[in-house]
Amino acid sequence: MEQAFMEQGTTVDKGENARLASFVGAIAIADLVKTTLGPKGMDKILQRVSEQDQSVSVTNDGATILRSINIDNAAAKVLVDIAKVQDDEVGDGTTTVAVLCGELLREAEKLVAQRIHPQTISAGWRIARQCAREALEASAVDNGADETKFRDDLFRIARTTLSSKLLTHQKDYFANLAVDAVMRLKGSPNLDHIQVLKKAGGQLRDSYLEDGFLLDKSIGVGQPHRVENAKILIANTSMDTDKIKIYGSRVRVDSMQKVAEIEEAEKEKMRAKCGKIVAHGCNVFINRQLIYNLPESIFAEKGIMAIEHADFDGVERLAAVTGGEVVSTFDRPDLVTLGECKVIEEVMIGEDKVIRLGGCKSGEACTIVLRGASSHVLDEAERSLHDALCILQATVKEPRSVYGGGCTEILMASSIDRRVDETPGKKALAMSAFARALRELPAIVADNGGYDSAELVTQLRAAHAAGNTTFGLDMYNGTIGDMQELGVMESYKSKLAALLSASEAAEMILRCDDIIKAAPRQREPMY
Amino acid sequence: MVADGETFQERAKGRDVRTSNIVAAKAVANAVRTSLGPRGMDKLMQLPSGEVLISNDGATILSKMNVLHPAAKMLVELSQSQDIEAGDGTTTVVVIAGALLESCGMLLSKGIHPAAIASSFVKAVESATKVLEDMSRPVDLNDREALINAVHTCLSSKVVSQNSDLLAPIAVDSVLGVLGDAEDRSKATNVDLRDVRMVRQIGGTVDDTELVNGLVFNKGSTKSAGGPAQIENAKIALIQFCLSAPKTDMDNNVVVSDYAAMDRILRDERKFILGLCKKIKKSGANVVLIQKSILRDAYNELSLHFLAKMGILVVTDIERPDVEFICRTLGCSPVAHPDGMSPDKLGTAAHVGDVALPGSGHKVVKFTGVKNPGRTMTVLLRGSNDLVLAEADRSVHDAQCVVRSLVKKRALIAGGGAAEIEASLRLRDMALGTTGVDSYCMKAFADALEAIPYTLAENAGMRPVDIVTELRRRHAAGDCGTGIDVKRGQVSDMYELDVVQPLLVSTSALNLSTETVCMLLKIDDLVVVQ
Repeated sequence: MEQAFMEQGTTVDKGENARLASFVGAIAIADLVKTTLGPKGMDKILQRVSEQDQSVSVTNDGATILRSINIDNAAAKVLVDIAKVQDDEVGDGTTTVAVLCGELLREAEKLVAQRIHPQTISAGWRIARQCAREALEASAVDNGADETKFRDDLFRIARTTLSSKLLTHQKDYFANLAVDAVMRLKGSPNLDHIQVLKKAGGQLRDSYLEDGFLLDKSIGVGQPHRVENAKILIANTSMDTDKIKIYGSRVRVDSMQKVAEIEEAEKEKMRAKCGKIVAHGCNVFINRQLIYNLPESIFAEKGIMAIEHADFDGVERLAAVTGGEVVSTFDRPDLVTLGECKVIEEVMIGEDKVIRLGGCKSGEACTIVLRGASSHVLDEAERSLHDALCILQATVKEPRSVYGGGCTEILMASSIDRRVDETPGKKALAMSAFARALRELPAIVADNGGYDSAELVTQLRAAHAAGNTTFGLDMYNGTIGDMQELGVMESYKSKLAALLSASEAAEMILRCDDIIKAAPRQREPMY
Repeated sequence: MVADGETFQERAKGRDVRTSNIVAAKAVANAVRTSLGPRGMDKLMQLPSGEVLISNDGATILSKMNVLHPAAKMLVELSQSQDIEAGDGTTTVVVIAGALLESCGMLLSKGIHPAAIASSFVKAVESATKVLEDMSRPVDLNDREALINAVHTCLSSKVVSQNSDLLAPIAVDSVLGVLGDAEDRSKATNVDLRDVRMVRQIGGTVDDTELVNGLVFNKGSTKSAGGPAQIENAKIALIQFCLSAPKTDMDNNVVVSDYAAMDRILRDERKFILGLCKKIKKSGANVVLIQKSILRDAYNELSLHFLAKMGILVVTDIERPDVEFICRTLGCSPVAHPDGMSPDKLGTAAHVGDVALPGSGHKVVKFTGVKNPGRTMTVLLRGSNDLVLAEADRSVHDAQCVVRSLVKKRALIAGGGAAEIEASLRLRDMALGTTGVDSYCMKAFADALEAIPYTLAENAGMRPVDIVTELRRRHAAGDCGTGIDVKRGQVSDMYELDVVQPLLVSTSALNLSTETVCMLLKIDDLVVVQ
């Protein structure tokens, strides 16, 4: 029938088929990432197969995995999207959100098979979601007012996040590192001030937090290698000769002498430019572009440290941390703010020398130097650390925290179950399905750890029913335990965001009954 | 509570991926294991370009191998990482990783969860590191003999092992030279090996290799226009401007309208260049180094002629990245503009001159008697062909890395597999004292460590089982320095034989390989992405 009004090549899946396709796609995606969940979750190798890039990365980060895979399924794409949103919003819980959504859909599939209308299911889910949210809010602990306690909370949250990652063996060390870095920011929302520098070699344990900013560049020849009370001019200007930018410009002369004079004039321009730069009163000059021999030697003569070819990110970040601005014209020294820092010196990391800017104007700036056995380890360590930093920063903004280890999920599920008893109608079925899906999360974590999930989750339920509402999974002993004692904390914001976006996405997928695929645009054959 | 919770039912896919990773990584380890030790063999590699390379250095072999499997790639990176951290032990690290993975295969088949294995391994490696630290002996950087012994051990497995009497002192002296006097040495925590410049010259034999406290260029001075070849009390200028006809950054055309103008242009050019040369002469320089230029000729026949007339020795084609090193060695600063020529920018050397190398007769410029404010060293490497030369270069670099490891961590440990056997024995003791998964994994870890002495004995053509069990016995009796004396084919005390290596090499090999193995263990899926 559609052929009557749709363009050729358009395909339409309807009703049962469409729903089936959605369920299958979403559940497949959730299953792909669910083995990465929890402290004993596994990693994935991502093998790139494009022509230019054959590289390999190893990751445990749900967002990274989902972002990389290619999929051709509408519902699966929705899952990838919510994982991305979770990544942007809070930075952690990306796997959780995809898995929860998948589990919800798995439950929905059973309900639909019982001929319950999707609208009824989503109505039940909404009540369940509201109920879960209230339970979550009630269980949240706010230690924002007490600084030492809050730092403790942050440390625990970072530890919980890192425990599922590569850094799990050094999680205490890195959790401290991350908390120190985030505390330096003093609530500023700009994670740019935390620079992560990866240097192969050494062990993960050799990583450290460097006060100040590290620049992976070298200092020009014959210039001072250590400057105290540096005044930094950060520029993006070409320090080869300023060419006259007129297309095809050329000079015509009738003698060698004149050529020499013009060459001299060109050099004179350069000298004038350097003079202007020096007139800013700076003793360090950092340029995004190359600095050629002539200006380099001029700066050397004036005792100015010149650093060339600082990449774009480097320059912008430098401007941010030293409080200077990036300049490209030098006519008005009075309008230019110079960056400042206490000391600039060369330090060695592994085999390489880098330039350290210590005591920057904005005290927040710091660099985390990551060391590790290989680039894979380093990349994954960076991703893990980034997750931890994001979640900590989110927690600084929203200081409430909840207990991890599946504790909160069981809490929410029990609260929904209580509400089920009071709810008449088919909606109640949908609500208990929602509770089941929530309980699946600790079950998956237990399964990944090689434990008997059915046993553990039922024990956990019983513990919660007995009033031990801080109980969760102790993944190191394979038992249930008090999360408060074990210090397994998670951010309230991340849990809430995961709950809301997973259920919303599941609802959205559930309500679809048609999938219309537009015909791919015809490519012009290339001759 | 939970009964027998430790059953790990893995997905079929997870098992397959893990097995394939282990197999691939073991294949890589097997490829290099025969090159371990003094009687290890070298590998000949043919590069895609047709070039041939012979090496015994694990990192070099692996980096040239075009591995495809992701897990194999990780092992390659592992050995490179050891190269960066310790510079030596690049084969060891891969052999240990291969052995650890083999143990993992066994542990996995028992149904032990990979994450549990990983965390036990981390504990095991911590204990092993402690054992190594306890058995190591502190070393003083001023004790040149001890350093040379450590370097001997490193060089013994290389092609150039016959020359190690010559190369070991060179490696030690070059690094110590960079560090400076005794006081600076005791404070140093790291060395930048780029301060030692390696100049390779084909011809002669490795025996002709020498350490120069000064500077050597790979080529002779430019003498197409005559000029001096030897200068005493040299004053050296490093110039970055070009000694050729002027050229603007814009396109320029010199319009010649009549015959007379042509003559005038030639005369102008002559005058211009003469002016430049005079400025150089005026500053008092008698040696000129000219930086290479890509935009225009750095020099031409005319300028060479003038300089030769003025009695100035010329070295051309200095690369920009080398400028920093040259300046630090000679104490000069580069001059980017003719007007900037002044006596204070010149560097000095007691003697500069062409030296014909024995063997090839090829000439190099040598700068000796420099003040050397920047503490740099130059090693002039000789060898009968490119292959030997390249391998000698790598070997000396490894040897320097050994010294550097000692600067970083001042302790020596017995070589010849003694350290590994001792760690293995102590871990086995500890395994007996613990229960559960940890105990099992620790024992497996201990077994894996024996791969090093086993391979060492195997490569030396000894009976590995006899040797390893004998070592175990001696170590159990308390001789913690006992190792394999490959040269005599028996077990003896390594400290007495002066077969020692830096502690850092051993500990970093253990830690890095464990880190990589843990990472490989945790992988259960291979996703192909775009």
